[in-house]
Amino acid sequence: MLTNIPPGLVMILGAALVPLLTHTPRQIFMLGLILLSGLQAWQLDPGVHLTTTIMGLDLTLIRADALTKPFALAFHIMAALGVIFGMNANCRVTESSGLAYAGAAIAALFAGDFITLFIFWELTAFTSVFLILKGNRPGSLGAAMRYLVTQVSSGVVLLAGAALLYSQGQGLTVGPLDATTLPGFLILLAFGVKAAFPFLNGWMQDAYPEASISGTVMLSAFTSKLAVFVLAQCFLGLEWLVYIGAVMIAFPVFFAVIENDLRRVLAFSSNNQIGFMVIGIGIGTELALNGVVAHAFAHIIFKSLLFMTMGAVLLRTGTTKANELGGLWRSMPLTTLFCLVGAVSISCFPLFSGYVTKTLTVASAIKEGYFWVWMVMIFASAGVLEHSGIKIPYFAFFAHDRGFKVKEAPRNMLVAMGIASLLSVIIGVYPNALYGILPYAVTFDVWEAGHLLGELQLLSFAILAFVFLMVRGLYPPEIDSTVLNTDWFFRKLAPKIIMGIVRPLWAVYSVTVNGLKLILLDLMDFAGGQINKSSIGAGAMSTSVAAGIFLTIFALLLALRFLLV
Amino acid sequence: MSKKESELAVMGRKASRVILAICILLAVAEFIIHRHSYSDAEAFPLFYSLFGFLAFISVVIGGILLREFIMRDKDYYDAD
Repeated sequence: MLTNIPPGLVMILGAALVPLLTHTPRQIFMLGLILLSGLQAWQLDPGVHLTTTIMGLDLTLIRADALTKPFALAFHIMAALGVIFGMNANCRVTESSGLAYAGAAIAALFAGDFITLFIFWELTAFTSVFLILKGNRPGSLGAAMRYLVTQVSSGVVLLAGAALLYSQGQGLTVGPLDATTLPGFLILLAFGVKAAFPFLNGWMQDAYPEASISGTVMLSAFTSKLAVFVLAQCFLGLEWLVYIGAVMIAFPVFFAVIENDLRRVLAFSSNNQIGFMVIGIGIGTELALNGVVAHAFAHIIFKSLLFMTMGAVLLRTGTTKANELGGLWRSMPLTTLFCLVGAVSISCFPLFSGYVTKTLTVASAIKEGYFWVWMVMIFASAGVLEHSGIKIPYFAFFAHDRGFKVKEAPRNMLVAMGIASLLSVIIGVYPNALYGILPYAVTFDVWEAGHLLGELQLLSFAILAFVFLMVRGLYPPEIDSTVLNTDWFFRKLAPKIIMGIVRPLWAVYSVTVNGLKLILLDLMDFAGGQINKSSIGAGAMSTSVAAGIFLTIFALLLALRFLLV
Repeated sequence: MSKKESELAVMGRKASRVILAICILLAVAEFIIHRHSYSDAEAFPLFYSLFGFLAFISVVIGGILLREFIMRDKDYYDAD
C-alpha cells in the first residue's frame, strides 16, 4: 500500500498539520512522517510504480531507478537532521515549510514525467522561500523575493521545455535529452538555474546567508542536489557539462577567499562542490556517475554539518562575520570539533567522507583523458581546503580571541551535528556502506598507497602554504564588505539598463504630451476666436480642424501608450 | 597580548611545527612509496606537494587581486 503513494507526499500533506501541534508532539510527528516517507522510498525497487492520466496526459507519479535510492536516503536523513537541528527555534513556519520543502524535493526524485517534476520543482521553490523570509534579517525579504523569482523562473523554463517536447511528440518521460534541441536546451537551462551554473549562481550566495539558522541548513541540502539528480538522469555524458563544471569548481574559490560572511563562504563552497558533480555527469562513465552520486550523498551531510556549526555560532554570537569572530573553541568545544569534522570531510582528508567520494570523480576525469579539467579539479581541491577546510574553522573558532563568553550550542543542535559528523566518519572509514547503494559496483581502490600519499601531500603542503602566508602576514585580512557576485547583473546592471531605456522614452513621452497639449490649447483659442467673429463657415472649419487635431493627438497618445506598455 | 591570545599563538606555533614535520615526512615517503601516475605531470617528483603549495598560494593571491575589482562597501546594495 505504501508503494502507491509518492514518497515525500506524506511530508507535504503532513506539513499542513504541523502548525496545529504543540512543540514536542510536533517534533515527533515530523520525524514520524519522515520515517514513513523513508520506508516508502526504501521499498521502491527500480521501475514504474504509479501512473495516472490527467487531461489526456500520461503522468508517472512514482518511478525509481539506480540513482533514486541513494538520493532519497540522503534527503530523508537530511530532513530528519533538519528537524532535530531546528527544534530549539520552536518556529512553526520554518518547521512546516521545511518539512514540505524536503517532501517536495523527495517527491521530485520519483517523478517519472516532466509535468510531475515541474509541480514538485515549483513546490520546492514556494515552500523553501519561507525559510529565507524567516531569517528575519534586514536583507531577508529582498533575498527571498529574488530567490523566488529565480526559482519559479526555472520552473517556467522547465515547463516550456516540457511543452515543446510534448508538442514535438517526444513524450514527457524524464530521461536522456538532446541539449542541442530547443526543448532539451530549455530543460538544461532550468536545471542549470537550480544547480547554480556559472552566471546563474547568484541566488545561492544571495539567499543562503539570509535564511533562518535551520533554514540555511535545509536549503543547502535539497534544491541543488535535486538539480544534480535530474541532470544525471537527462544529460549524462553531455560534454558541455565537463567544462561548465570546471568553471564552477574554479571561480568560487577566489570569491570565498575574500568573502567575510562565513555562511556565504559556505554557499560559494556549495557552488564549487556541485561543480565536481556536474563534471562527473558530463564525463558520464560508470566510475564518474558513482562519484557523482556518492559525492552528492556525502556533500549533503558534510555541507549541512558545516552550515549547522555556523548556525550554532550565529545563534550564540549573533554573527557569522569572520572579522567579528574568533576564539570560540574554548566556549563551544563540541561545535568546534564538529566543524573540524565537516572541514576535513569536505577537504577530502582520508578517513572522512569527501575522500572516498570525490576521489571517484577526480579519478574518472584523468582516466578519460580530461587532463586540464583534472588539473583544475586538484587546483580547486586546494581551494576547498582554503575556504572550507581552514578559513571556516580557523576564523570562527581560533584566530583572534574576541572575548565571547557564550554557551555551547543547544543540545538538539549538538545531536544533529553529532549525527552528521558520525555519518561523515562512518562513510570515510567504511565507504562500502555507501558504495553498496551506488548505481554501479565500485572497482576503484581509493586506499591504494600511492593515491593516499598524493592526496596527503596535496593537503599537507597546502596547509603549509597557509602557515607560510600567516607567518609572513600575507594572508588577506577579513574585511566587512560586499563581494560582488553574478547577482550584480540582475540587481544593479539590469535595472540601470532598463532605466536607461525607460527614462529617455518617458522624457520623449512627457515632452510630446505637454507640447501637444499646448498646441491643442492654442488651436482651441484660435478656433474660439474665429467663432466669435460670427462667421459660420470659419466656425465650422475651425471646429473641424480642432476635432481633427484632437483625434490625431488621441491616436498618437494611444500609439505611444502601446509602445511603452 | 592577552593571556588567551598568547595561548592561541603558542598553539599556532606548535601546530605549525607539526605541519612542517608532517610535510617533510610525506615528501620523504614519496621516495619509498610508488605513486601510480595517469599522466606525465603526475609522475613529476613531488608533484602533489608542489602543486598543493603553489595552488594554495595562487588561490589566495587570486583572491587578493579579485578584491581590487569586486569588493564594495558593506552597504553597497542597501544604498538603492
